[in-house]
Amino acid sequence: MSRLLITALALAASTITFDVTAAGNAEAGKKRAYTCTGCHGIPGYKNTYPMYSVPRIAGQSETYLVNALNAYKKGERKHPTMAAQAQSFSDQDFADIAAYLSTAK
Amino acid sequence: MRHLPLLSALALIALAPTAIAAGDAAAGKAKSTVCAACHGPDGNKPIDANTPKLAGQYEDYLAKVLRDYRSGARANAIMGAQAAALKDQDIDDLAAYYATQQGDLKEIPHK
Repeated sequence: MSRLLITALALAASTITFDVTAAGNAEAGKKRAYTCTGCHGIPGYKNTYPMYSVPRIAGQSETYLVNALNAYKKGERKHPTMAAQAQSFSDQDFADIAAYLSTAK
Repeated sequence: MRHLPLLSALALIALAPTAIAAGDAAAGKAKSTVCAACHGPDGNKPIDANTPKLAGQYEDYLAKVLRDYRSGARANAIMGAQAAALKDQDIDDLAAYYATQQGDLKEIPHK
């Protein structure tokens, strides 16, 4: 019984640790997001083939941004430039970038 | 030169679909009730951080995304089901509505 309890506590602790690790640091994210401004920082900037406006992502919902970056990394969302960008970042980078973008003033 | 009237008529026909396809923000607002349940009344107050803000997003981007959800090019269980019911005009109207709402979305600041 006590072993079960310890296992349960250990699992709970590991879950908590994971959440803390995944929390985004906006200051770190600002440095990581420098490249993003090349397209997402220019008003009216257009994606080509097909042609459409590059979305505004500053002020966007934090978890949505993390999910979007993960989807590009895994290939679930298809966009050559975004897929290439997402490959170079870790889960922590994604969390940091999303923390910065969602609160960017 | 005697083909000018014909050419003019053809030009008008070519332009007509563009005019029809343009989104009507007021019509979009009327169609946005279902969207508001998750994205918020004006598309700027979503129910959770998992749901994107739409207010002030680019109109052509919103229209593209809705078409991608409808075709399945972008896979999402909820949005796929919602977009399946939309006609091109509905998509253009909704995109026009949300693009003209005031919200938090903006370009990444250069500072």
